[in-house]
Amino acid sequence: MSASPSFRDGLLAAVPTLRAFAVSLAKNADRADDLVQETLVKAWDKQDSFQPGTNLKAWLFTILRNEFYSQMRKRRREVEDSDGLITARLSVHPSQDGSSDLSDFRRALELLPEDQREAIILIGASGFSYEEAAEICGCAVGTIKSRVSRARSRLQEILAISGEGDFGPDPISTQVTNSAAIA
Amino acid sequence: MTRMYKDAGQGTGNEQRMTYQKLEKGRNGKRGSVADPLGPNSEIGRKLRQYYDELIVEDIPDRFSQLLSQLEQKEQPGSTAKED
Repeated sequence: MSASPSFRDGLLAAVPTLRAFAVSLAKNADRADDLVQETLVKAWDKQDSFQPGTNLKAWLFTILRNEFYSQMRKRRREVEDSDGLITARLSVHPSQDGSSDLSDFRRALELLPEDQREAIILIGASGFSYEEAAEICGCAVGTIKSRVSRARSRLQEILAISGEGDFGPDPISTQVTNSAAIA
Repeated sequence: MTRMYKDAGQGTGNEQRMTYQKLEKGRNGKRGSVADPLGPNSEIGRKLRQYYDELIVEDIPDRFSQLLSQLEQKEQPGSTAKED
């Protein structure tokens, strides 16, 4: 059975949301598009393993995410050799002019550890359920929940501070002080 | 404060599998529920969707449709289809 036209159409229709997810993971528009391309090729190759009737978008997100992390691991090894040059290139923002409010938010989001950032995006923006996000990330539902909740409080902290003035404590020391106060 | 987070040591990418199971039961959007911390009443939730919506560009670059056409053509109609 060759690829049904609907599989191709499904892939194509998913491109906009895959690109958005890829940018939010990779923080770089060019790299994001390479990720999407790689995802489409992989998806095409393993289309037999997709069960029609299940969630194609979640399946594609899983592939994209796996691809992202395997590239990251590869890059990390390279970075050790090349003295951080690649890291510097990775942090380039996608060129777009959002409101300054939104660019604050984007910066805050980029400060999060990858696992937290992807969790809060899958749940809060891509519209997946906790169960789906857990499947995409290959972890337990409870893990997603705690990542989302940590991401959320971290964002709240960062944004409140950056809105308040320039002399506030940095988010990490705030976290330390707060938890010390509670403990 | 009780520690609820017990996943701190878990790696992000090591144990991924490609098995994708049915998730139909998890699919009822819980967005409307009162307890949703990222729901419409949450500022973080709103900004998150705003941020993401801005990233969604409906125009699909030719690069991707061309890629899919290439992939489609690579599959020769005469080649044996594997079915089991």
